[in-house]
Amino acid sequence: MQFAVNILVLASIYALIASGYVLIYRVSRVLNLAHGELMMFGAYLLVTTAAGLSSSPVVAILLALAMSLMVGGLVYLFLMRRMTGEMALAAVLTTVALGILLRGLILMFWSASPQHPRDTLGWENPVLMLPGDARISLFAALLVASTILVYAGLFAFLRFSRWGMRMRAAGQNPLLAAQRGINLHAVFALAWALSTFTGAIAGMLIALDSGLDSTMVMIGLKAFPAALVGGLDSLLGALIGALIIAAAEVGVIKYVDPLLADVIPFAVLVVMLVIRPWGLFGTREELDRV
Amino acid sequence: MKKICMIASIVAASFHASGAMAEDALKIGLTGALTGPVAGTYAPAVEGLRLYVDALNAGGGINGAMVELILQDDGAEPSRAAANAKRFITQDNVVMMINASLSSTFAPSIAETSRAGVPLMFAASACPQEVFPPANANLFCTTAFGAKYDSHAALQFIEGQAGSDIKIGFQAMAIPLSRGEIDYAEGVAASMGMTPVAKEITPPPAPDYSPFASNISDAGAEWVWSWAPWGAQVKTFEALRRLGWSGSYVAYAHLEAESELARVHDETFYLVGANALFTENLPVMQTITAAAQAAGSSYAANQLTEGWIAGMVIEAALKAASDPGDAGSVRDAMSNLTVDLQGLRGGPLVWTETNHFRTTQSYRVYRWNAANNAIETVQDWTSFDVE
Repeated sequence: MQFAVNILVLASIYALIASGYVLIYRVSRVLNLAHGELMMFGAYLLVTTAAGLSSSPVVAILLALAMSLMVGGLVYLFLMRRMTGEMALAAVLTTVALGILLRGLILMFWSASPQHPRDTLGWENPVLMLPGDARISLFAALLVASTILVYAGLFAFLRFSRWGMRMRAAGQNPLLAAQRGINLHAVFALAWALSTFTGAIAGMLIALDSGLDSTMVMIGLKAFPAALVGGLDSLLGALIGALIIAAAEVGVIKYVDPLLADVIPFAVLVVMLVIRPWGLFGTREELDRV
Repeated sequence: MKKICMIASIVAASFHASGAMAEDALKIGLTGALTGPVAGTYAPAVEGLRLYVDALNAGGGINGAMVELILQDDGAEPSRAAANAKRFITQDNVVMMINASLSSTFAPSIAETSRAGVPLMFAASACPQEVFPPANANLFCTTAFGAKYDSHAALQFIEGQAGSDIKIGFQAMAIPLSRGEIDYAEGVAASMGMTPVAKEITPPPAPDYSPFASNISDAGAEWVWSWAPWGAQVKTFEALRRLGWSGSYVAYAHLEAESELARVHDETFYLVGANALFTENLPVMQTITAAAQAAGSSYAANQLTEGWIAGMVIEAALKAASDPGDAGSVRDAMSNLTVDLQGLRGGPLVWTETNHFRTTQSYRVYRWNAANNAIETVQDWTSFDVE
């Protein structure tokens, strides 16, 4: 049972992060290689709000989430907007530069020391007992619950809301969408904001569960295979891809050799690229554009 | 604002100083992982060294000559470390170079400094094999931890606490240095009669350490020896506790250890280390604390020890050199040097012609004492001859 719980927690981490890659790619065809840094930045925002509002933990978290949403929007407005209409490669390289900038800023403002926002907020992280003598920490359980809520929310938003439909339209055919009066810049800004928001949720919950340091950026990169295996333009694919990658990783750790934990996500990715390059739920047209 | 000013001063220090200082100063170049994912291991030490050099210069420098510390970030990338080393030697004419970065940056640093005959000192970075007897004439190391000796100290402590008839687990990170040490420790433990039951090599970093901790717990380990960067050590331990594991865990006391010991507050989480913790409040620790506060350092004073010790050694070497402006003279002085570390370690740092690590390596073991709500010394200095 603990084996299943370990898979579920890891899959939730990957899925939550991967949703950010998918949101931006699906709408604007940009591969955001600064997503790990934006996720980490969101977690560090929580460090700041927690320090200032330690007596109101919920407010501190909500404020940090609101700031993350804003950061995502601002990144688009002040940086990625300039890349609209340019080669996709230029936009991708811009996100690489953004990542380097964010890493430097984080070091300048928060130092490289380990941070523990949960302690600052005065919260405990009790262990919850599950059937089969399995255990899960409170914040790991919240991570699983948040992933379910985020994906349910995103599916509903994209399917039923006006802005969600605009985002889908912009992703399918930006020219036609623009001709129908959809403000593409507003849609892209919203996608960046939501992507940063979901990444920040992942970053904050990981930080609340086990602490935060500058290595978190590498966790963001580890979720990338999940998005690719599922199909870069499919939220459902990201979810399934995360589950596959997490199951393979935890299985290898338990039954083969823990040393392979870092390798197996990319091995699965290579197999998928050979068999079905556009991913499990991705569409072939999208790949052609890549 | 204070933090930003401090960071700005570090940035400024990475460029050439102007005027008389640049002309007359004794220049020391440092290539370090000041940014990037592993910066947490090195940046506080560099900060400690910077504060020491500032204090040294404020006190008149070395016989009136200022010491100029030129900081260059390599982000733990070998190519950038190589460029930094080349610049230090060809442009800055440094009398000593310092490496405070990942072991992947060692080869280019060693190659450049060896060619130029400039002594290379490792501070906060792992001590390479070449500084142990018989030492390379050009390479030196002040870093507290020492491969093989750390494992001997930890395993002897475990044996003293629980005897040899125990099941022991190991934790390392998937980097050559950490893996090599844990492989070595596994063999030593077996030769001591212990039963190794699990060896978990975690990625740098793992999003969730529970799968690795599950293996250790399921294998029935009663003790765990962990030798890896701090985050991997403590996160594996905390994952074990979340799984209900009730064994004892021994980890290496890295820079972050003291603050973290108080946070974890677990009585069977032991730290083996070669640096004294600040709970002792020695005069030198008060000096470091005052320097950190005055500079508005973003790091706790107890994280600055490694850098401070490097500063003490640099000062001693420059003072002992017949011509501190000449790299060869500084290297000769370093090859026969004794530095009083004022209690920051278990004894003085002694370098000889053949030993550029130290002749004696001493360890203490610490843990959290819940009754006193404080860190306590479980085992006082235990020394090993380095031969």
